[in-house]
Amino acid sequence: MEAEISINYLAISSELIVIFTIVGTISMDLILTKKSKYLIALFALMGSLISFIPIIFQWANYSKAIVLFEGSYVIDKFSIILKGLFILITYLTFLLSINFVESDTYYEGEYYFLLLSSLLGALVVASSRDLLTIFIGIELASGPMFLLSGWRKGDPKSNEGAIKFFLLGVLSAALILYGFSLLYGVTGKIIFSEIVATLSALGLHQSPVVLLSAILVLAGIGFKISVVPFHSWAPDTYEGAPLPITAYLSVSSKATGFLALIILFTKVFYESGGSWGIILVLISGITMFIGNLSALQQKNPIRLLAYSSIAQAGFILAPIAVAGITGNYKDGVYSSITYLIIYAFMNLGAFLVVNILINATGSENIYEWGGLAKNSPMAGIFAVIFFFSLAGIPPLGGWFAKFVVFRSLLSTGEIFGVLLGVVGAINAVIALVYYARISKIIWMDSSIHEEKVVTITNPLKVVGFISLALTILSGIFPGIFANLGEASAIFFSS
Amino acid sequence: MTSIGNMLSEGLGISLVVFLPLLGALIILFIPKTQDFLIKIVTLASATVTFLLSLVVAFQFDYSKAHTFQLGNKLTWIESINSNYEIGIDGISLPLLLLSTFISVLAIIYSFEHLPEPVNAKGMMSLILILETGMNGTFVALDLILFFVFFELVLLPMYFMIGIWGDRTKRSVAGFKNEVETRLYASIKFFVFTLFGSAFMLLGFLGLYFRGSKTFSIPELIELGSSGAFTGTFATLVFAVLFLGFAVKVPMWPLHTWLPDAHTAAPTVGSVLLAAILLKLGSYGFVRIALPILPEQAKAWAPAIAILSAIGIIYGSLACLAQTDLKRLIAFSSVGHMGFVMLGISSLTSIGINAAMIGMVAHGIITGLLFFISGSMAHTYHTRDMGRLGGNMKLLPKTGALLGFTAMASLGLPGLAGFWGEFMALLGAYNPLSGLNITVFRTSMVAGAIGTVLTAGYLLWMLQRVNLGEPDEEWVNQDLHDADNYELAAWIPLVILTVLIGIFPKIIFGSTNDAVINLVTKAFGG
Repeated sequence: MEAEISINYLAISSELIVIFTIVGTISMDLILTKKSKYLIALFALMGSLISFIPIIFQWANYSKAIVLFEGSYVIDKFSIILKGLFILITYLTFLLSINFVESDTYYEGEYYFLLLSSLLGALVVASSRDLLTIFIGIELASGPMFLLSGWRKGDPKSNEGAIKFFLLGVLSAALILYGFSLLYGVTGKIIFSEIVATLSALGLHQSPVVLLSAILVLAGIGFKISVVPFHSWAPDTYEGAPLPITAYLSVSSKATGFLALIILFTKVFYESGGSWGIILVLISGITMFIGNLSALQQKNPIRLLAYSSIAQAGFILAPIAVAGITGNYKDGVYSSITYLIIYAFMNLGAFLVVNILINATGSENIYEWGGLAKNSPMAGIFAVIFFFSLAGIPPLGGWFAKFVVFRSLLSTGEIFGVLLGVVGAINAVIALVYYARISKIIWMDSSIHEEKVVTITNPLKVVGFISLALTILSGIFPGIFANLGEASAIFFSS
Repeated sequence: MTSIGNMLSEGLGISLVVFLPLLGALIILFIPKTQDFLIKIVTLASATVTFLLSLVVAFQFDYSKAHTFQLGNKLTWIESINSNYEIGIDGISLPLLLLSTFISVLAIIYSFEHLPEPVNAKGMMSLILILETGMNGTFVALDLILFFVFFELVLLPMYFMIGIWGDRTKRSVAGFKNEVETRLYASIKFFVFTLFGSAFMLLGFLGLYFRGSKTFSIPELIELGSSGAFTGTFATLVFAVLFLGFAVKVPMWPLHTWLPDAHTAAPTVGSVLLAAILLKLGSYGFVRIALPILPEQAKAWAPAIAILSAIGIIYGSLACLAQTDLKRLIAFSSVGHMGFVMLGISSLTSIGINAAMIGMVAHGIITGLLFFISGSMAHTYHTRDMGRLGGNMKLLPKTGALLGFTAMASLGLPGLAGFWGEFMALLGAYNPLSGLNITVFRTSMVAGAIGTVLTAGYLLWMLQRVNLGEPDEEWVNQDLHDADNYELAAWIPLVILTVLIGIFPKIIFGSTNDAVINLVTKAFGG
């Protein structure tokens, strides 16, 4: 006697629209002639934009969590806001990509197909509440990136970066699976709430098996979010990949990884937080130091941003780490997600600036960018806003991101939290030196490119102004993030 | 009319004083670069209206209740952390707010004709206006987070002001292989030092938030603090980080090393705004936040602050005696003068804190004027080397006369504004709050007194080298321009104020005295 399965299609309509767009792009690629392939880009842009519409509807109407597929898939405000973020980032990445993809002579359809697939993976992670779904989501999000990071086939650096990324990516997938298999072996369940219930019934929350599983999962996801000591692939892959893909990797892929980490550690492993919390605190502090100190040495802007994004990962991780020890998960998740969202737009903006300036000068050495702001004040202002926002200087958005993290770290007066706060404060100062260096070079150094014309195409302007608006607004009216607090509360009530 | 008056007194007035400059900066962004004159006019207009509004605020202010926060309001800002847009002024912040709006206007007038390379009026004018928003905002903010945002808002404009328009001579700096341009080194040093202090200060603010009743409101925290809510190791640590944040800005010895570099490198208006107002953000922070919220810790730390201030006074004066660079000399003199301000604060008495208040205003006016004059001279002579200058009175009689007057004011000549701050700070240190270590304070007082002598010494020596004597041969047949009308328009009001405050110190005390007495009574019981 099979019960009829009823599916709330409206609740997963974003995912369905993305799937439809994926199928559309790859089919169009087969049919269209080379001349009209620009239509694929248009289609992908439209598709990602349309998939945003249900997000608005869901945000307005879903005051309670919608549970689908017997608890495997949950749509609540928390997942809705992150899905909105993922879709918006993908949309902006498409805009960043248009010129790059058209300058290439082939592989236009596949590019959009792969990016959309990665988006689908991220959307799935946001709602997943069982081991299989989350694993499929994580891998669907990162699999396409192996290919995309090697997209510049002619460049040995791109090949090297992609291979490193692929090998470590496979290793990390294996680690995650191994961790999951231990959980499944102990409990025989895959849905998070059932796993937790079984572990409680067996009294195994603090057992070495569960802790080992947590550490394996942490190591696996550590690669995705590039925290020390799992960060070594990031600079090479970032440098080799096409710039829009690098931007996507450092923003969306990182966010997906963090989301998976947050879901798993606050929904499954939360009872053993005292054990893994200390490990995360250490990782977080060391990541900040290594990321920032390495970034100080970089001449290549992409490697600089790679190390900066490693250091930023340390900041994002910090509240979760301390929440593990104190048990105040709600606050930790709120802080990390707020940081993640603000970071996404300012970092995208920073990559936009690097993209513009590399195209203008043809040089991947920041010291050869002297005086470029005179050629294009707009690029100069973008650089100031985005890089100083990354440094956390008020009134730009980054300050509020840093602030909520510090607030969360100090909230209970827990000694590890306070220490991590001090480490964070020191690192904010170290980071300022290299973030300010970019502005110093393009505004203050003498011009060496007086004749160079810095062009900012219209799609890039759109990316710039959207990121700019969000970066400045979030700094001046941080109240808009109050909704996140509510969303994070819902996340824990379901 | 009454309704407008009401609106102004219910927070709109000081909000406009804070945000009009920013509005001006936004308008300038949309004026093409080539419309030089229009840009300057818009800048001057928004700064002047801001100044006039601040005068209206000063007239609306009820001086009989100077110890209360007035003319402000409280709007929701960041609800989730209970941080609000809470503003208001009392007798302590009013003079500083007026100083800030006034000096900004003068700086803009001066910049009409005196922009260093690369001229770019659009950039400079918008930076001055953004800076003004930050400065005015800091003086009216009554919420720690709002205070923090404004406190940090001044960093970016000043960084770019020093870095773009600053001194291009190369010098060798320890730790760098090649010689670096002064402006590049100085600008990042300024930024890193200040951020280092304020990053920790923010942690301190959060500490107060969590130990208090989850509020960032300064008036509420003052109530909590004076009822003894913050004690023990926790409070000691919080005071330490607040001290770090404010002392870097003041700057107190030994955290002062960014100051001479920044001043030497900054363009004239940058130096003026830095000396006249930015330094006050630090000492204001002590009076507004650190002392009233953490009174017990202030008592515990007061002797240390007094000693550091005394060292700063002596050190600043001695360093001045070793300078050959005119601007660097004035920069080090700031270390000494701010030492007097901090010595007054550390006495924790109403005399001492009143001395600090008038000292801040006087230092803003006098040292601002000194930087105007020295900047202009550096522009005329193309050197700041006092060994090459000389006979200034003969070459540039107007500038020379003003330099002479200002140096006299700076050394604390009775009858001019500089006198009260120094004299009363020493008085405060002679008789500090009961319970404080008398020996430490009297020693500091003696050191301060020696400092006044040294101050007179280096300023007179500077005058002798620069103003008096016969001009060096290299200047004799050169076409040197004495102060022009823009310069005089910027300088004369400061001269008048110096004399006025010198003769009628009540201009300042009338505003500050009640507020200071209230602060001391509430925090230290006497």
